[in-house]
Amino acid sequence: MMSIHLDEAPVRRMQPQSDPLTRKIQRACRISLPEPDLALNLDVADYINDKQGAAPREAAISIVRLINSRDSHTAIFALSLLDVLVKNCGYPFHLQISRKEFLNELVKRFPERPPVRFSKVQRLILTAIEEWYQTICKHSAYKEDMGYIRDMHRLLKYKGYSFPKINSEDLAVLKPSEHLKTPSEIQKEQEIAQAAKLEELIRRGKPEDLREANKLMKVMAGFKEDNAVQSKQILNEELTKLRRKADLLNDMLSASDSPDVENDTIVELYNALRSSQPRFQKIIEEEQDDDQFVQDLLKFNDTVNQLVEKFDLLKSGHPGEANKISVANISSSVDNGGALANEINLIDFDDENAGKAPSNPAAGTNGLDDDLLGDLNSLNFSNNNNNFGFGGSISLDTTNVPVPAAPVTTTATTTSSSNFDLLSDFSSPSPVQTQQSTNKNDLLGDFSSAPATQNVPQSTTVSDRYLVNQSDVLKFEFLISRESESTIKVTSFFSNVSISQLTDLTLMLAVPKAQQLRLLPQSNTVLSSYARDAVHQESWIDNAVKNAPKPLRVKWKVSYKINGTPKEESAVYTFPNV
Amino acid sequence: MGNSVSKVLGKLFGTREMKILMLGLDNAGKTTILYKLKLNKIKTSAPTVGFNVETLSFKNVKFNMWDVGGQARLRPLWRHYFPATSALIFVIDSSDTERLDQAKEELFSIIGEKEMENVVLLVLANKQDLPGALGPNEVSDFLQLGESLKNQLWCVIGSNALTGQGLIEGLSWISKNTSSSH
Repeated sequence: MMSIHLDEAPVRRMQPQSDPLTRKIQRACRISLPEPDLALNLDVADYINDKQGAAPREAAISIVRLINSRDSHTAIFALSLLDVLVKNCGYPFHLQISRKEFLNELVKRFPERPPVRFSKVQRLILTAIEEWYQTICKHSAYKEDMGYIRDMHRLLKYKGYSFPKINSEDLAVLKPSEHLKTPSEIQKEQEIAQAAKLEELIRRGKPEDLREANKLMKVMAGFKEDNAVQSKQILNEELTKLRRKADLLNDMLSASDSPDVENDTIVELYNALRSSQPRFQKIIEEEQDDDQFVQDLLKFNDTVNQLVEKFDLLKSGHPGEANKISVANISSSVDNGGALANEINLIDFDDENAGKAPSNPAAGTNGLDDDLLGDLNSLNFSNNNNNFGFGGSISLDTTNVPVPAAPVTTTATTTSSSNFDLLSDFSSPSPVQTQQSTNKNDLLGDFSSAPATQNVPQSTTVSDRYLVNQSDVLKFEFLISRESESTIKVTSFFSNVSISQLTDLTLMLAVPKAQQLRLLPQSNTVLSSYARDAVHQESWIDNAVKNAPKPLRVKWKVSYKINGTPKEESAVYTFPNV
Repeated sequence: MGNSVSKVLGKLFGTREMKILMLGLDNAGKTTILYKLKLNKIKTSAPTVGFNVETLSFKNVKFNMWDVGGQARLRPLWRHYFPATSALIFVIDSSDTERLDQAKEELFSIIGEKEMENVVLLVLANKQDLPGALGPNEVSDFLQLGESLKNQLWCVIGSNALTGQGLIEGLSWISKNTSSSH
């Protein structure tokens, strides 16, 4: 008896041939299995996610047929498979279970009036519908497409059916994931969803469906940029939410001298920030062309690091040290000053950390504390044309290093995108006080495992040339010599290995915070073709003690123009032991 | 979809319904062909962004003809129209010899798809009226369908959408070569 249905509509007949999908579904639901087999179910989900197209629809149709099979064993297996697919195949499958025909089939065996006692199959079906009703009908980005699930829920309720209570863990799976997605991930999801929708509309083929399909197709074909813009927007919204969370956590942690770190809200906020942090790096990789964006995100990452550290300190019972960490309010901080200000921020890795590390103990004595990643703060742009005032004479060095005769000027960079390459490898957790947490939150993590080369023999008087980098255009060498126990002299030499002339050659160097860099002007900015060592620049690194447990590293960037085209090269250079 | 009563009647009287997908590079003449068949009129159309679909009755067959835009950025979306297709009409501008290679490439990528392995293929060598247009035999030679298609039925017919030449022949070839059980 079909007593419950929304509308009479023919249900598509199954194709008789046994394709891989049907076979996989049958395998997952076969009677000989002792219990639903998650691996087999996930195999079906993977297959559908891989194939897309008609696969979600065909799966839904086969499964609902099995659910209605006389054998309750099979039906229960089919329902467990259905559950796995709903939770793993996303919108394309949700679209199928929210079809009227599917829902009518699903409740085909429900009597007009609810029975005194539900069968297990009926109970599972009601559970499924309730679960969908509470999750995808409410939270899906495309919830307007799930209308029939709501209708069916209402209809069953009206007929006197009651729904089982769902435990919150089951609901959590279907709620939108909290973790951040990169723009390309968002976009990919969008594309899959749009393709599924388009195919469904084409299949339905009613005039209004076709009109919508035509519209959708235009969006899919013509306005990919729209998708890109939209995905960026979604990301920005998510980041704004996170920033608010960070602020809230900050407020809560700073509210008193000993905030309750067991507080649910605090723990939740902490976890939300913590779990989104690994995503930052991925997002930065994708968005490295957008300077401002990456800049903001890096800054935010600093804040998150500080908060996480503060929380950890409080938790481990060090409220005093925790209170030393004052975190800037991130979402309300206003950026002023346009391009130049951005440029400064780009250069200054250390914006936020400066306040947080009130007294950097003479590093080098304790190299472990000396987290290179967070400490780079004295990147100097230097130019030899004594044009001091040009572009603003900006001293980036907050630690007040004597910079003899080093005209520190920012050069107007043509494309600053790769400034971020310079930065993107750097996370800035610089927990000065705690040793244990140095490598916890590294955006990259790779630096934290830098081997401690302690016992390498060294010779004091050697002055050697080391190849820093050689591209097909430029050869870049360091002449390194130790001048004193703490000071290394580094002379950079540039050779042109190409036939073209290089102009506007600029070297930028950055050293860890514990060290200080002094630069003399470059000897020249032009390298004629095949000129050897035609440009050199002398510099000193102070506070670079002998036999430091961690090798000294500098970040360098060389920019120049070849045939008028701006080029940049950059990397991190690890010093030999001198 | 249609309602079930007419389907039953249709079976009694031997009418059937099938989905025909019409694809091809932009400016091949797909939309012009569709409306020539549907309205017997030349509807000058702007490039199709999206698709057109019309139902044509021909003898005892009801064709649902889908004409999907052929611009490069629309081509990746063609595959969404593949399901349930009985016949593919691939339209080629026979005078656009420079893009024949491209057309061939697109054609082969369509019929290489699993969903399309059971369709019958009609190639319309369109714009036969234009000077310099390759004849259907030349187009056929160029496409080398005989060597590539082992199990699929195919046919190349010269056409001129403006006069309607070749279009009815094409449709009757399709209706003859698709089994009614499809």
